[in-house]
Amino acid sequence: MKKELWNPIFGGVMIGIAMTLTFFISGRGLGVSGALTAVAAWLQNLFLPSVTQSSKYFSKLFENGANPLDDYLVFMAIGILIGSFIAGIVSGDSKIEVLKGPNISSKGRLWYALAGGVLVGYAARMARGCTSGQALVGGAELSVGSWAFMFSIFAGGFAVAYFVRRQWI
Amino acid sequence: MIGPLVKNSIISGGVNTVFAVLIGVLFGYALQRSGFTNSKKIAGVFYMKDVDVPIVMFTAIVTAAIGLWGLSLVGLIDLSKFYFLPSYLIPMVVGGLIFGVGMAVGGFCPGTSLASMVTGKIDAMVFVGGFLLGSLIFGDFYPLWEKFYNSNSNGTWRIDQLLNINVGFAVLIITLLAILGSLGMRKLQYKFWGQK
Repeated sequence: MKKELWNPIFGGVMIGIAMTLTFFISGRGLGVSGALTAVAAWLQNLFLPSVTQSSKYFSKLFENGANPLDDYLVFMAIGILIGSFIAGIVSGDSKIEVLKGPNISSKGRLWYALAGGVLVGYAARMARGCTSGQALVGGAELSVGSWAFMFSIFAGGFAVAYFVRRQWI
Repeated sequence: MIGPLVKNSIISGGVNTVFAVLIGVLFGYALQRSGFTNSKKIAGVFYMKDVDVPIVMFTAIVTAAIGLWGLSLVGLIDLSKFYFLPSYLIPMVVGGLIFGVGMAVGGFCPGTSLASMVTGKIDAMVFVGGFLLGSLIFGDFYPLWEKFYNSNSNGTWRIDQLLNINVGFAVLIITLLAILGSLGMRKLQYKFWGQK
């Protein structure tokens, strides 16, 4: 039996409390995309060290023998994995499956997931953060750029929703 | 005890890292329990079919804004030691548009894909793989967009400075906008898709 989801207001307050804790304890915001980019750079460096360290963008992550995985956001990402894993088990939501609308095959859905991931990965770097680290944190900081980023996300999503509706509804 | 704790040397860097993991656990737990590990629920917002996602987001922003500026008001955080995100207006707008397209196509953002991956969702695992690839494309071909990426450097640029108003008043405005936005979107959801 699956447990019911939290009320969205309650969920929002809990996430807001997590954000406030990072403000008070660490003097910065939480985030996710920075951790994933560190993992990407670290992985590429295993196989293509010359490409990674000659990249003007990635080389600073390896300066003076530094390890990009030794980073605040990477540790936080480990916590996110633990927290969601526990929540998935206790709520009965955990299951190996592909979530999709009724009008698309699982294989088709996975191609969309890959393409969406590539776009979001690129865009998060261009915007210096993602929904959590830029939109939520910057939103609370009252940052003009972060608010513009958040409204642009909704604009971009609404603009293409019609063309990918087969996947969802 | 005045924050930021680690920058005021009240806690060590090691303890700060432990807190990073613990706060991550709370964040991940809250994402899963809010339904954000379900790509259909996330993409549902773009059809006004399920507007829980923006309601959670608006609530989180308002809670954290009251947290940050409230702590500052009562003198519990020294904002001179706080790292404010810098604004780069046009790169952030362009990034946001591409990001939104990617979310409607892929069904996740980075945090939700990580959280969803460990609940067994294969579409989330593939999305994370795509994300790694996308960020490598950005970094490996960085010179192609370096100039644009660094354009429009506005530094710390806040709504209260833009509108030339008091910070507390700006927090009040975003709180009211969040409430009106949440109610309005819920109303549209019920109008288009009926009441659950």
